[in-house]
Amino acid sequence: MAAYPGMSMGEAHRRITEYLNRFSDAVSKQDAASLRFLLSLSSNSPFLLSLADALNTFHDSSRLIKHSDHYSQFSDILFNFFRSLQTYRLANLFDSYQAFEKSANAFIQEFRNWESAWALEALYALAYEIRVLAERADRELASNGKSPEKLKAAGSFLMKVFGVLAGKGPKRVGALYVTCQLFKVYFKLGTVHLCRSVIRSIETARIFDFEEFPKRDKVTYMYYTGRLEVFNENFPAADNKLSYALTHCNPRREANIRMILKYLIPVKLSIGILPKDWLLEKYNLVEYRDVVQALRRGDLRLLRHALQEHEDRFLRSGVFLVLEKLELQVYQRLVKKIYFIQKQKDPTKAHQVKLEVIVKALKWLEMDMDVDEVECIMSILIYKNLVKGYFAHKSKVVVLSKQDPFPKLNGKPVNS
Amino acid sequence: MQHRSHLVHRVWEQQMYHKITMAMHHTLILLIHMVMEIQDTRDTIITIRSSSSSLTILAISSSLTTPAISRNLTTPAISSSLITPAISRSLIIPAISSSLIIPATSSSLIPATSSSLIPATSSSTLTLPIHNLWEHIKTQTAGGYPSSGYSNQTTTWSDGSYANYTPHQYANYTPDSSTSAYSSGTVTAPSSHYQQQQYKQWADYYSQTEVSCAPGTENMTVASKSNVGCPIPGVSSGYSTSTSQAPPSYTPSWMPESSSSEFSSVQPAAGISSASDAYWQHGAPSSQIHITSPMQPQSQKPLDPKTSYDSFLDQQKAAYSQGHNLQYPATHQVPQSYQSPANHQVPQSYQSPAQTVPSSDTRRVSKLQIPTNPRIASNLTFGLPKTDKDSSTTGAAVKPAYISISQPKANEKVLSNDAADSMLKPGTFPKSLCGYVERALGRCKGDMQMEACQDLLKEMITKATADGTLYTRNWDTEPLFSLPNVDAVNKDLQSSTPGLSLPKYKRSPSRRSKSRWEPLPEEKFVDKSASVVNDTMKYGGWINANDKDRKPFFGNNGNKENNMSGMKFSPLDQKNASKIAQRPVKKQRYADGFNVADNCDASSDSDKEQSLTAYYPSAITLANTPEEKKRRENRSKRFEKRQGRTESNQFKPKNAGAGNLYSRRASALVLSKTFEEGAARAVEDIDWDSLTVKGTCHEIEKRYLRLTSAPDPASVRPEEVLEKALDMVHNSQKNYLYKCDQLKSIRQDLTVQRIRNWLTVKVYETHARLALEVGDLFEYNQCQSQLKTLYAEGIEGCHMEFSAYNLLCVILHSNNYRDLLSSMSRLSDEAKKDETVKHALAVRAAVTSENYVMFFRLYKTAPYLSTCLMDLYVEKMRYKAVSCMSRSYRPTIPVSYIAQVLGFITARPRNEGSDVKDSDGLGECVDWLKAHGACLIADNNGEMQLDTKASCASLFVPEPEDAVAHGDANLAVNDFLTRTSL
Repeated sequence: MAAYPGMSMGEAHRRITEYLNRFSDAVSKQDAASLRFLLSLSSNSPFLLSLADALNTFHDSSRLIKHSDHYSQFSDILFNFFRSLQTYRLANLFDSYQAFEKSANAFIQEFRNWESAWALEALYALAYEIRVLAERADRELASNGKSPEKLKAAGSFLMKVFGVLAGKGPKRVGALYVTCQLFKVYFKLGTVHLCRSVIRSIETARIFDFEEFPKRDKVTYMYYTGRLEVFNENFPAADNKLSYALTHCNPRREANIRMILKYLIPVKLSIGILPKDWLLEKYNLVEYRDVVQALRRGDLRLLRHALQEHEDRFLRSGVFLVLEKLELQVYQRLVKKIYFIQKQKDPTKAHQVKLEVIVKALKWLEMDMDVDEVECIMSILIYKNLVKGYFAHKSKVVVLSKQDPFPKLNGKPVNS
Repeated sequence: MQHRSHLVHRVWEQQMYHKITMAMHHTLILLIHMVMEIQDTRDTIITIRSSSSSLTILAISSSLTTPAISRNLTTPAISSSLITPAISRSLIIPAISSSLIIPATSSSLIPATSSSLIPATSSSTLTLPIHNLWEHIKTQTAGGYPSSGYSNQTTTWSDGSYANYTPHQYANYTPDSSTSAYSSGTVTAPSSHYQQQQYKQWADYYSQTEVSCAPGTENMTVASKSNVGCPIPGVSSGYSTSTSQAPPSYTPSWMPESSSSEFSSVQPAAGISSASDAYWQHGAPSSQIHITSPMQPQSQKPLDPKTSYDSFLDQQKAAYSQGHNLQYPATHQVPQSYQSPANHQVPQSYQSPAQTVPSSDTRRVSKLQIPTNPRIASNLTFGLPKTDKDSSTTGAAVKPAYISISQPKANEKVLSNDAADSMLKPGTFPKSLCGYVERALGRCKGDMQMEACQDLLKEMITKATADGTLYTRNWDTEPLFSLPNVDAVNKDLQSSTPGLSLPKYKRSPSRRSKSRWEPLPEEKFVDKSASVVNDTMKYGGWINANDKDRKPFFGNNGNKENNMSGMKFSPLDQKNASKIAQRPVKKQRYADGFNVADNCDASSDSDKEQSLTAYYPSAITLANTPEEKKRRENRSKRFEKRQGRTESNQFKPKNAGAGNLYSRRASALVLSKTFEEGAARAVEDIDWDSLTVKGTCHEIEKRYLRLTSAPDPASVRPEEVLEKALDMVHNSQKNYLYKCDQLKSIRQDLTVQRIRNWLTVKVYETHARLALEVGDLFEYNQCQSQLKTLYAEGIEGCHMEFSAYNLLCVILHSNNYRDLLSSMSRLSDEAKKDETVKHALAVRAAVTSENYVMFFRLYKTAPYLSTCLMDLYVEKMRYKAVSCMSRSYRPTIPVSYIAQVLGFITARPRNEGSDVKDSDGLGECVDWLKAHGACLIADNNGEMQLDTKASCASLFVPEPEDAVAHGDANLAVNDFLTRTSL
């Protein structure tokens, strides 16, 4: 949008008045969609951009706001919103955020007084805008060498909004949206522990069924809580939540599906469920391909390479340690393969796997491990019930159970 | 001559909240009956019905037999009337106040007293009337009257903004010595707001107490005045606090007092007074307490009056009142004088408690429907009746006390003078001060100690007043002086047997009285008091004594019921006494909850004792000397420094009544002032930029002392000295405790000088390493977090090493998945190439995969101090390993193998020969396995084997031997020493 340097005062006045009229109309008609449009600062709609130019031309907008009873009632909202829009247009994001937060605060006050929840859409817009604006303001701050703290402020603001919504009544429907915005803030800030209180409030509310929330919010919520469960290494719960998100999300939103799969795949892997290659291909999750391959083959080297190669990515997404724990399954696979080979050779002695065989196999994989270390790993495999049997120290032999020596995980995590 | 005054108040239901009650008052109807009888001559009953806008007051006042007295009374009445408006303003019930005043004026008990006491008599008259009233009530319908009017009044009191109200009253009261009694009466009316019966009763008591105050004034005119003024403010403040506070809170506070001042607690009078205080201050709680407490023995009751006096005195630190019985008034006054050499009101407050006490008794009586009137007498009377009944134990003791009281008149007069002086001059004693006095006296176990303490306190207060630090000083945090050595004092305050102590006290009243009186000259010197007032005071005390004597008789004649009532009341009394005692203290403590105060007291006791012990024993004589003053100033400043922040909140403004905000502001002012003087200031208030210190200290060695105030450049070492200090620590052969202390002080000096450079890093690194060596994770973490920011600022250091330590720390000790992830993701590529970091990462891998073989290999090869960090995880890893092995191995594992794999054998580098090493390690491993419940067997070759199947179920983690109650073995000094001595 080009600036309107030549905008006349009259034109500016007209545009501002138009905005004010539309705003008061939207409120009086309880037209949430228009209100949302009017408050969507970052939508870059021509209407708002031209309004911003008008405001930069016509500096006495506060007089206009106070001029009519229709607007003056919302003067706190409007005045600060105008200021925010002005500074936003001038790319002064810090000031823009400051003003926007004030405006949003005033809006919440109004919202609190509205009996019905008609303005939820507009509130959503505010919650979204304030988060996005805060992120951008933080970037601006950081580039200026100042400490970015606006996102934090946005977090506490959203918490306030959550407080407005989380009670009883029709407004509760909006609580989950705000919760999701909060999740985004917290995950971005790395203060994930703050999610807990919000989650508790959502999940312990008996008066409101979770299913009554809007679907998109439920999916988002499940995605984030699933990620939290990954952090907690609670894989079955993570599996549940992420699967819920996957099955309920919009199938055409591939980016969202990919985000979900990014966490769901490691979770599934860790409970012994491997994805098909086409899935990884389709959603461009090739970083997992080698991992899956390593699990199939029992190729420890491949796993380690894959982990090393994508270490940064895995660390950032937080699945590194999950993937690393797949090593045991790779060992299991390796021993199983040895067992099968022995079985083909001599079925009677197949259940006795000599340690040196395993060491030799690992050597082929260029894994330099001595007998003690491998013995330890076998011991752990048995201990974790990935291998049934026992280890005879004297003869250095893994004695496998004759029944189901390599039990499958079947959706259960490895014993830890 | 017998005078009975009864105040009956009915309180219609009033809401607990003062504000509400205030509104309510207008609509409430107060019936106040004040009946004053003079047995000997004629009883004039004046019934005044004054309908103020909202209140109807019935006041019956009895004129005094003695004309002289009446004259006296009249004057007081006038004064009271003067006072009344002020009170009424505060109370919002002008009519009541006036009515009350009238009755108060009417009665004077003792002609003789009147002559001497003329001004004072009025107050005494008040008390007498009350007594009379009480008697009437008793005889007629004691129960019926009790609560209403007073309760209303109380509410009003409570409603009235305490802060504002109190000061006004004080001012008013102070001028009118005699009037005060009247005013007190008025005050009482407003006092009660409690809805519950108990509350009402208390209110009644209260009102009675007020009335009694008037009587008290009789006894001690000045005192009465002071009482009225003081109690009211005190009460009001107390109310505010009390309402908010839970009843239990009160009890504890009370308990200590009683226990502390054995006498007071034991003795009914003291009890009463305390109770009244409590009542005033706490309102509901106090009432409850009273109810609960009645258990105490009768024997104690007789003592109570004396004790109460004593307690009062003690609390107030009035050395003046030696004769306990007599002191009742005197004591109150004394304390007042003590507390506020400048404050006139203080004495009032004291008196008021006394008055309140009687009233409470009377109320009780009324409730109990005991025909005989306890009331003031109850203070005294309680004791007396009890004594009669209990005669054997307590009675004997009590009686002497009474006698002593009567005798000490001269003393009392002196006291009263002093008190009056003190009272006249000062505004009000800070609550905190009162609390301080309570605390100080609470510790006393014996009479002697009490006296000594009182003397000390008196001195302190006098000095403080002289210094002008009376209000500025934070009495809440003021260290208690050490107990005088008079007696080998037991620290068990409560355990002390009050009964015993009391009797003793009574036995030697005269002696005490002397000792108490001795300080008087000094006070006189300090305060210019109106002699007249003093006289009145004395008389009042005397009168009271007389009353007491009389009352006892009455009580005896009356019934067992009296005794019963006395019994029941006694606990109440004690409570009252404690309350009263506390009241003065509380004046300034509006904001502070009792509990808080108590806590403070408890926590600060030891410090106070320590700091003050040294010089106080000799302090008594020095009280007014300039050196003494200076010392005290210094001491208080020093303490302020230490207390820093706490103090800032607690500082009392000079306008005590103003309330929290004011007090805080004032305190802030004081703080800043003191700061200018080089004293402490709250750390948080300090602008570090402007205060960055440039050290001038050249001592290399310096002990660490946590700063609570701005650092003194003279005690801060500049950078070059700190360098030397660091070297010194490096080369020191001393143990870790010493080094840690030194390093902390170095760190502190660096911080206050805002030095952040290589030296800072070096200091922190040094300390972190030392801490790691001894496993002091707490210090290590502090250093680590500082190092993190220091490194982030680009200061060179052993960054990698400490990154690795940090990583290890996260892995091994926090065990937090997210922390681990973030630490790992924060590692730079460069860091990942560092050997130490690589090692740490390998350790992490070993730990997450529970690969014990790998772990112990890494353990052996750990660089720098990683071993120390890993040390802390070894036990856990071994246990995991053994439980894993016992599950997966069959049938056995050689112990030698376990020892080798789990690092027993090679983990001890100090062993030299391999044989020795092995056997040593093996033995250790065997011990370890056994300690963890493993089953060991010997195979055919005699080699030890772990029976895995058996061990599988029997393994356990033994309780750590070095477990400490506080959960952190690092805090155990012995542990430090043993570890560092290696």
